[in-house]
Amino acid sequence: MKRIRWIIAALVVVLLIAGGFYWRSMRHPSPNSAGTPQGGDFTLQSADGPRSLHDFRGKVVLLYFGYTFCPDICPTTLTLIGQALSSLSPAQQAKIQGIFVTVDPARDTARKMKAYVRYFYPGLIGLTGNPQEIAAVARRYGVVYRKHEEKSGGYLIDHSAFIYLIGRHGTLRRTLPHGVPAATIAAALRQLLRQP
Amino acid sequence: MLSKFTALFCACALLSVTYAPAALASAASSIRISHPYVTAVAPGQTNSAAFLVLKNTSARNHALVGASSPAAKIVQLHTHLHVNGMMEMRQVKQIPIKAHGKTVLKHGGFHIMLINLRKPLKPGEQVPLTLTFEDGSHQEISAPVIKLSDTLKSMPMKMDRHH
Repeated sequence: MKRIRWIIAALVVVLLIAGGFYWRSMRHPSPNSAGTPQGGDFTLQSADGPRSLHDFRGKVVLLYFGYTFCPDICPTTLTLIGQALSSLSPAQQAKIQGIFVTVDPARDTARKMKAYVRYFYPGLIGLTGNPQEIAAVARRYGVVYRKHEEKSGGYLIDHSAFIYLIGRHGTLRRTLPHGVPAATIAAALRQLLRQP
Repeated sequence: MLSKFTALFCACALLSVTYAPAALASAASSIRISHPYVTAVAPGQTNSAAFLVLKNTSARNHALVGASSPAAKIVQLHTHLHVNGMMEMRQVKQIPIKAHGKTVLKHGGFHIMLINLRKPLKPGEQVPLTLTFEDGSHQEISAPVIKLSDTLKSMPMKMDRHH
């Protein structure tokens, strides 16, 4: 009898914990819960005029979203992207286009983006647009971002920090999580270059 | 009787005042700081961050509660949270340094955020930093400006990817 009581008590505890997790997951749905992002073509502004994803057909495209006010995450990832690209042969580098899209179009002008991205790798392109255009591209790639007001008066932007790899035909092929080493990025790029 | 107690109380008070500073060294004197650096900025980048290692040589918990620097208009203590794939940077009131423990300020974790830099930070420069601890004690250090690519080569990032 005592044993049964214990079993019931244990069951209640397990159910409560499971319920708690379920409730949490309902309250904070993962940005990727909708499945793999569909990706797709887009047109945004560079300092040298509009650029579309289809301009780079035949090349592997590495796509990353962030903003120039970003103090740590974006510069770190862009540095790793620069290191990954520089580790490839010149022939391989010529077949890859790196693109950095701002999620802070209010502050990041096309000129600012150009000067910023070239610091990390000379061939990178920086793109901006109006907030609606940026939001549309972000949605298609499953990028989530939101403004976080600071007490100091400025603002930061919380954002997802995945690297998107797009095959030569313009389809999204791989998503790399934040914090992957340069060697992993380079290996993924080499693999995509081998695919027809 | 009363005067005896008073005398004893006075003696105790005197003793505690005399010995207190020796028994309770300031936080600043208990914390050893090593490997400080500030990352150089890309053109147009107006924010940067300082990183360092805080080692607590005492048997008491301490905390870094503030920092200042002439290099930036605003200096704040921050941490990174990785929530549902979102990278969130949040100000923190303090960065704890446990008794006999070590707290590493590193990419993707705790850092000293330098907001609105007064001028771009170039590799080779030195950034003075004043660190303030929980008891109000200070420690002044100088952190070299290092190119981000150099810091990432020597120190593989330990990113929290388990959320």
